[in-house]
Amino acid sequence: MTIEAITLGGERMQLNMGPHHPATHGVLRIRVESDGEIVSSCIPDHGYLHRSIEKIGECIEWPMFVPYTDRVDYVCAMNANLAYCVAVEKLLNTDPATAVVVPRRAECIRVLVAELNRISSHLIAVGAMAMDVGAYTPFLHGIAQREHVNDIFEKLCGQRLTYNYVTVGGVAFDLHETASEEIASFLDQFEKEMVRFNKLITTNTIFRDRCANLAVVTAAEAIAWGLVGPNLRGSGVDWDLRRDEPYGLYGELGVRVPKGERYAGRKGAVGDCYDRYIVRLLEIQESVRLCREVLKLLPPAAGKANDPIGGHQADVSKVLKRPPKGFVHCRTEAPRGEMGYFLVSDGTKVPYRVRVRTGSFSAAGIFHKVMRGIFLADVVAVIGSFDVVVPEIDR
Amino acid sequence: MNGMTFEAIAARIAQVCDEAMVVRSENGQPFVRVPAAALPRVAALLRRDPALLCDALMDLTGYDRLKYPGNEASPANDAIAVVYLLFSQQHHHRVMLEVQAPRALCSVPTVSGLWPAALYFEREVFDLLGVQFVGHPSLERILCPDDWVGHPLRKDYLYPAQYHGVPHLREGQHFDGAPRRQGDPEPTPTPAPTKKGHP
Amino acid sequence: MTGLGYAVDAVAVWLSGSPAPGWIAVTVAVLLVWVAPLLAIIFPVAALGQIVERKVAAAIQRRHGPNSASLEGPLRFGFRVLLCFLPRATQDRAFQRFLKLPVVRSLLPILQKLGIGQLAADGIKMLGKEDIVPRGADGAVFRLAPYLALTGAFLPFCVVPFAHHLVMLEVSVGALYVIAVSGVTVLALLMAGWGSGNKFSMLGGMRAVAQLVSYEIPVGLAVAGVVLWSGTMDLHAIVAQQYRPGVFTFVGWNLVQSPFLAMLAGVFFLAGLAECQRTPFDMAEAESELVSGFNTEYSGLRWGMFALAEYTEMLLIGALFATLFLGGYQSPIGEQWIVGLHPLLATLLHLGIFAVKFLASLFLMVWIRWTLPRYRVDQVMRLCWLTLVPICLVAVFGLAVQLVLAGGTEAGTAYGRLAALPRPALGVLGHLLGWAVPVLLLGVLVRIARRRHGGMHPALRQLTGGGS
Repeated sequence: MTIEAITLGGERMQLNMGPHHPATHGVLRIRVESDGEIVSSCIPDHGYLHRSIEKIGECIEWPMFVPYTDRVDYVCAMNANLAYCVAVEKLLNTDPATAVVVPRRAECIRVLVAELNRISSHLIAVGAMAMDVGAYTPFLHGIAQREHVNDIFEKLCGQRLTYNYVTVGGVAFDLHETASEEIASFLDQFEKEMVRFNKLITTNTIFRDRCANLAVVTAAEAIAWGLVGPNLRGSGVDWDLRRDEPYGLYGELGVRVPKGERYAGRKGAVGDCYDRYIVRLLEIQESVRLCREVLKLLPPAAGKANDPIGGHQADVSKVLKRPPKGFVHCRTEAPRGEMGYFLVSDGTKVPYRVRVRTGSFSAAGIFHKVMRGIFLADVVAVIGSFDVVVPEIDR
Repeated sequence: MNGMTFEAIAARIAQVCDEAMVVRSENGQPFVRVPAAALPRVAALLRRDPALLCDALMDLTGYDRLKYPGNEASPANDAIAVVYLLFSQQHHHRVMLEVQAPRALCSVPTVSGLWPAALYFEREVFDLLGVQFVGHPSLERILCPDDWVGHPLRKDYLYPAQYHGVPHLREGQHFDGAPRRQGDPEPTPTPAPTKKGHP
Repeated sequence: MTGLGYAVDAVAVWLSGSPAPGWIAVTVAVLLVWVAPLLAIIFPVAALGQIVERKVAAAIQRRHGPNSASLEGPLRFGFRVLLCFLPRATQDRAFQRFLKLPVVRSLLPILQKLGIGQLAADGIKMLGKEDIVPRGADGAVFRLAPYLALTGAFLPFCVVPFAHHLVMLEVSVGALYVIAVSGVTVLALLMAGWGSGNKFSMLGGMRAVAQLVSYEIPVGLAVAGVVLWSGTMDLHAIVAQQYRPGVFTFVGWNLVQSPFLAMLAGVFFLAGLAECQRTPFDMAEAESELVSGFNTEYSGLRWGMFALAEYTEMLLIGALFATLFLGGYQSPIGEQWIVGLHPLLATLLHLGIFAVKFLASLFLMVWIRWTLPRYRVDQVMRLCWLTLVPICLVAVFGLAVQLVLAGGTEAGTAYGRLAALPRPALGVLGHLLGWAVPVLLLGVLVRIARRRHGGMHPALRQLTGGGS
């Protein structure tokens, strides 16, 4: 019997999920209207975590905004840093007078930290989704691995959550001496660990039955509703900015892009929760591969920070005082999908407008559409499958 | 990118809309400036024309041109610019539209019928910049509270002195929002807003 | 009336001082002889169950679990209370003396590592917490529900035989009684859910009712199968019937007696999991959906009662599983030698063996909880009505056919008055049929499952370490 076959009649119940519900991933509030267990409408309410980051961006200098990008998405702060820095570099490069060349070693380090952060972010995503479906253990196993990534980052930049590491023109610090070996050994044990993780939860029948054919988003819908990143790929759209609009070193690396293929088998559908979940797991695998590739490409460190090959930081202090006037739009692939920066510069050291377009924002936009007619228990699973991170919605 | 070039897209837009203007920003970024009245036509063309087929709305945002330097001569000096960044997932080409809405009567037709993604983007632009999207099914504030006064990303926005009795500034603290730019007027103290002051 | 019943009579007579005691004396005697010791044993064990849960969960999740709360504080508190008539300095001196005892000194760190300190601290914390009744709650219903839950969890223990003749009430319809009184829990959960005046609680309560009432049926059918096999509803008799002389006592256990009984055992365990609201059937609590379900609004001791009721029920399911299918308190090997021992020693051994059996069930439940995700409401119901109930019906039917085909019984040989109980004996034909039907059924089920799930996607095989 399909859910649609159950007619929604009688009195509706208003249910307030959040902002302090245990499974709404931060302070997301969802006004659910249900007929018993079946959701008849579902309206997200945002803004509990609005910190006016875009407004702050108009008040501080170009490089000072980087720490704020950490707060745009603190689950993958490296990628958020990178998105902003790549955008500013793109702005600077629109004028030959202010063009920046990021040292090659810095580019390698950027990919390395971005992919490691993608791994740790996806670990939260898949772990939290398992937790939303009622399995607590996989989440903790994922967190344990994330801690290893955090250890690496802590050695790199002293921070475990908000890194402020990627800067305009490079990265803040060079890799420490043993970093390559540490990362390599982490990747080796991590791959084995992921096999255990997947055996524990991914192929679990209960989990698959819960997620299969749930909140199906077709490819056309996903595009029209502005879904990005793993959510878009989960719907079967073969699109990844790292491969299709490469930035930094990604053009050389050849990113392999997984997409939704009805992984749940006959019970599933392309673009269901299970597909989105599996796409994230496959992306973790791909990130592991990319990290290994980059470690091979990493040029030896040079003495000078702004050495074009072995350095880690191009000197941008002067050009950031007088960036070109005009605007630029630049999008990069963060774990939660496209993170697009629309920067308007009036030629001064302070941005005129900083606009961040995030993946979770548009993912939250489709909630009210996909959550109609599903079970109350699945509301949290759907939120989990879209991997929304509330600071990214509210900014 | 292997779709149509920007010039080809602009030419196609010009066929349905005479007023469409191809503009290059100071740093050479091209975009098409469309009058608000022609937006539905142009948007529908971009969305539906098989050769264009911009099925993805990458971003819909805006910025206040009030203090943008070098635009003093332009009549649209103090307009709110609404920016549409479109992308074709089919043909892999992109185009940017800009609609300038005068800040007094700030209204732009909605495109949420063509791209459902715009439902949220337009709410955000409305919330932060005060652009009325005509035809939007539920144009409510999304990030600020429903009874918030003013639109924070406007360049002439002044912080309310208090919100529901919570003062914005502590005793002796001075903060007027944005760092002062040259030629800025001195910030005037804002009167306390009424409780349901939102227009 | 046997066993402890005599003790009750004796105490009642002694209390009233007359050979025909009045109802007050009998009540007091019952409380003294039956209820108090059982409460004193079951509830601490149930509380320990919580520590077992936390420790096992920690092991599964590669954590340490509770290991930091020292027992010193609670012990000092205990000393202060016990020696409240002495001056403070004397209390402290006595406590220091106590701490210096070699036994205490060596035992305390171990208990702390095992998390007993945490248990004590939690208990004290729970006692001290404010008992909040929400404004919208239905006061009386809200307050009454935890007691009822505890009662429902506790009452069935009255008929569970812990050792030979160590059973509170040796009623001849014990199996029926267990199913009947454990139904009280449903009412408790509904009252908690309804009385809280909270929509999450109410959803939890409603789910609990739907689920518990449904799962009563497979539980009932599984018990009915055993009753059919044994020809009695007396739990003590059911245990005694599983006795076999010889080294390998376990061949007499119902679990291995007939494949149909094995099927029923599986169903009983699963449905039992559902009856005590454990993952993957924890619809009523479902912390990621319903915050905490029916007990969202409870705090302090009332919440503690619900927690205790949950663990008590887990123990009950374990105890019943052991009783019905694992030969109760009997040892798997060499039971006949234990029977021959001194009665006190035998009783102690039986108690230990029984404890091991139901603790194993407890461990299994905990293991399942921390491994599996949760079913959805409709899936839980579907599993009950479309899978477990049909399996039960097939098994009970098969059992009946087996019994008819077997045609004969052999005499039991154990335990006093049960010596002459008839026991089914299967011929070759019965055994053949018995094993053929379930194997075929299993094959069909696997086939259906395979077809419904299809082959695993190559990407999934690769993710789980297989070749792509």
